[in-house]
Amino acid sequence: MIQNLVDGILTGSIYSLAAIGMTMVMHMLRFANFSYAELLGIGGYAALVFDRLFAALVPALGVAIEPLTLTWALVLAMLVAMVITGASAVLFDWLVFKRIRAKADALSMVFASFGVALIVRNVITLIFGHKAELYSQDIAFAVVLSRDPMLLVKPDQIFTLVAALVLMLAFHLVLTRTTFGYALRAVAENPNLSQVSGVRLSSMVTAVWMIGGGLSAAAGVFYAMTNHLSPVMGHNFVLPVFAATIVGGIGSVYGAVLGGFIVGIASGLALMVLPSGYTPAMPFVIILAVLLVRPHGLFGEDRDA
Amino acid sequence: MKRKLTGFAALAALAIMAQAGTAAAQDCAVKVGVVYPTSIDWGKPIAATALWVTDMINEAGGIDGCKFEAVLRDDQSDPKVGVDAAKALVDLDKVQLLLGTVASGVTIPMLTSVTAPAGVMQMSCCSSSNRLTQIAAEGTTKGLWFRTFATSNVQASVAAILARDSGYKTISILYKNDDWGQDIAKLAAAAFEAAGVTVVGSTAITDGQPSYRAEVTEALGAKADAVYMAIYPKEGISVVREWLSLGGTQNIIGTNSLKSDEFKEAVGMRYLANFQGTDTSTPRTDSATAFVDAYTAQFGAAPSGPGLPNSFDAAAIALLAYAAAGKDAKGADIAAKVPMVTDPAGEKIGGTVEGFTKALALLKEGKSVSYQGGTGAVVFDANGDVSAPAVAWAFGDSGIEEKRYIPLEEVGAFMDSMAK
Repeated sequence: MIQNLVDGILTGSIYSLAAIGMTMVMHMLRFANFSYAELLGIGGYAALVFDRLFAALVPALGVAIEPLTLTWALVLAMLVAMVITGASAVLFDWLVFKRIRAKADALSMVFASFGVALIVRNVITLIFGHKAELYSQDIAFAVVLSRDPMLLVKPDQIFTLVAALVLMLAFHLVLTRTTFGYALRAVAENPNLSQVSGVRLSSMVTAVWMIGGGLSAAAGVFYAMTNHLSPVMGHNFVLPVFAATIVGGIGSVYGAVLGGFIVGIASGLALMVLPSGYTPAMPFVIILAVLLVRPHGLFGEDRDA
Repeated sequence: MKRKLTGFAALAALAIMAQAGTAAAQDCAVKVGVVYPTSIDWGKPIAATALWVTDMINEAGGIDGCKFEAVLRDDQSDPKVGVDAAKALVDLDKVQLLLGTVASGVTIPMLTSVTAPAGVMQMSCCSSSNRLTQIAAEGTTKGLWFRTFATSNVQASVAAILARDSGYKTISILYKNDDWGQDIAKLAAAAFEAAGVTVVGSTAITDGQPSYRAEVTEALGAKADAVYMAIYPKEGISVVREWLSLGGTQNIIGTNSLKSDEFKEAVGMRYLANFQGTDTSTPRTDSATAFVDAYTAQFGAAPSGPGLPNSFDAAAIALLAYAAAGKDAKGADIAAKVPMVTDPAGEKIGGTVEGFTKALALLKEGKSVSYQGGTGAVVFDANGDVSAPAVAWAFGDSGIEEKRYIPLEEVGAFMDSMAK
C-alpha cells in the first residue's frame, strides 16, 4: 500500500512536469496538442547525445554522483536538452501550427499535431534506431527505506522527484513574482485584453513553447533515467499526460501538477483493486470521474461564462 | 454473357467427366481430403508436401491394392471458406480422412462443425492453439483429432523442468497481456505446480505503458525464489530493469520471445548470469536431417517455410494409419490405428518410399511401427497433441548460447506426469 503510494508519487512527478507545459499550450493556443508528449522524446534523446559528448570531452564529468547513476555530464546535457527541446517546440509552431492557426480552425490543428507527432517519432527512430538506449548501463539498486511495511525507493527516483519539485517551484516563482509571469498569466486569461495592455502575444507564445519544451525535456530525461529511452516513449506518455491536464483543468498550472500526481498515484493504487490486465484503463476512469463531477476539471474555469 | 455462362457450364461438365474418367481408370481410388491455404505463399509448399507424401505412399503400395487420391482444396485461411471446403469433401467426396489446416481459427470450426460430427478423422500440420487441446479434452472431437505441431505447452513444461532442476521452490509469473501471453502463463502455472514449484503470483504486463513500476512492485510483493517472464523485449527491458533495481531476484526464466540481443544489451550481461531461456527445437535426429535432404531433392530448395516437416508427418502418419485400417475404414477406425504407426516399441521406419513399403507390410501383418519423421519420432497424447524437443538457452558474451537440449522423450515424460 505505502509502496504503491510512493511509486505513484514518483511516477506522478514526471507526469506533472510534462502536464504543466501541455496545459499552458492547450489553454493559450486553444487546441489539443497530440504532438506535445513527443517533446519528452526529443529532450531525452538530445540529452543522450550531449551526455555522451560531454563525457567524451571531459572524462571527469562522466563519473556517477554517488549514490545516483546521474553524472555531471548528464546534468549539463539536460540543461542543453531543455533549450534544444524548447527551441524545437518553437520551430514546430513556426513551421506548422502558426501557419494553420492563421487560416484554419482548432480541429485542423489537432490533426496537424498528429502529423507532427508521427514525424518526430519516426525521425528519432531514423537517427537512433528502434532499440532501447540508456544513459547508464548500471542498474541503480533500490534502497530499503523500511522493511515492514516494505518500502523500496531508488536514489534516482528521489532525485527526480526533488528536481521535478524544484523546477515546479521555480516556475511558480516566475509566474507569481515577475512581470513576465504576470504577462504570461494575462495572456492565458484573455489574449485580446492582454494585447491591449501592451503584452506582445507572439513573444508570449514563443515563451510558452520554450517553457513547455524545457519542462518536457526535463521530464523526458527523468523518465529515461529511471526507465530507458525508446522512440515511442513520448507516445506512451500521451494518455497519462492528457489525463493529468484534463483532470487538473485546462489552463491551470497547479491543476496540472495535482493532476499528474493523481494519475500517477491512481495508476499505482489501481493494481490493489483491479487485475493487472486492466490497470492501463485507470487514467481514462479518472478523466471520466472528474469530468462527471467537475466538467472543467478540478481547477478549470468555464470558458464561455 | 449468356454464351459465356453456357461455355462455363460446358467446361464444368467436361471437367466432371474428366474426373469421372480418372476415377474409373483407378477403380478403387480412396479419396482423402486435403485442406490447406494454397492461395497463400507459405501455404502452397505445405500442401505440396502433403501431396508428395501421398504419391510416395501410393508408390509404396497404397491401400489394399488401391491408390490414395488426395483431393486438395484451398481454405484461404478463412474460416468460412475452410468450413465450405471441409463440408464439400465430407458430404460430396465422402472422405473419411481430412488433412488440415494451418490457422487455428479455421481448423477449429472445420473440426467442430464438420469433421467431428461426421465421424471423419482430421489431422493438422500447423494449428498451435491451446483451445484445440481444450476441445479435445472436452470430448467434442471423439478422438478423431490429431496435430503434429507442438503447443505452447512445450515451452511452459520446459520452464517448469528448468525451475525444478534449479531448485526453485516458489515462482512469480509476469506475462504479456495478449492471447499468447495469457495462454502460456496459464499453461506455465499448471506446469510449475506439477513440478512442485509454487506459483505465488501472476501479473499481466500490457505493452505501451510509460511505467511498469506498479506491476513490478505487485509481483515483487510475493517474494518468490525466481520469476518467469513470458514477455517481449520491448516491455521486457523496462520490466526487467525495474525488477532488478527494486531488488528482484536474478533467477529469471524467460520464453523464446526474449531471445534478443537488444534485450541482453539493454539489461546488461552482468545481471543476466542466472537467466535461463526456453525454446522449442527441431529434433536432432537422423530422420529430421533425412527429411531436409529428401525435401531438397524433391523440390529443389531446402524446406525453409513454416510447418513443412509437420505437414510431411501429418500426411504420412494419417495415410499409414488409413492403409492399416483398410480401404473401407471409417474415421474412427483410422484414428484407432494411429498408435500402431507411432508406437515407440515398434520397428523404426523412415519417411521414404522404402520405409513406407516396409511399414505397410508390417502393418498388414498386424505389427506396429515407430514412424520416424521430419519432426522426429512423433507420439500423440490423449488429446491428439504432440510434444517437441526443446532447448534451454542463456545469454553469453558472444550472444545467445544453447545450454541444454531436452529431447522429446524428456519433454513428453514431463507432460505425461503433469496429466496425472
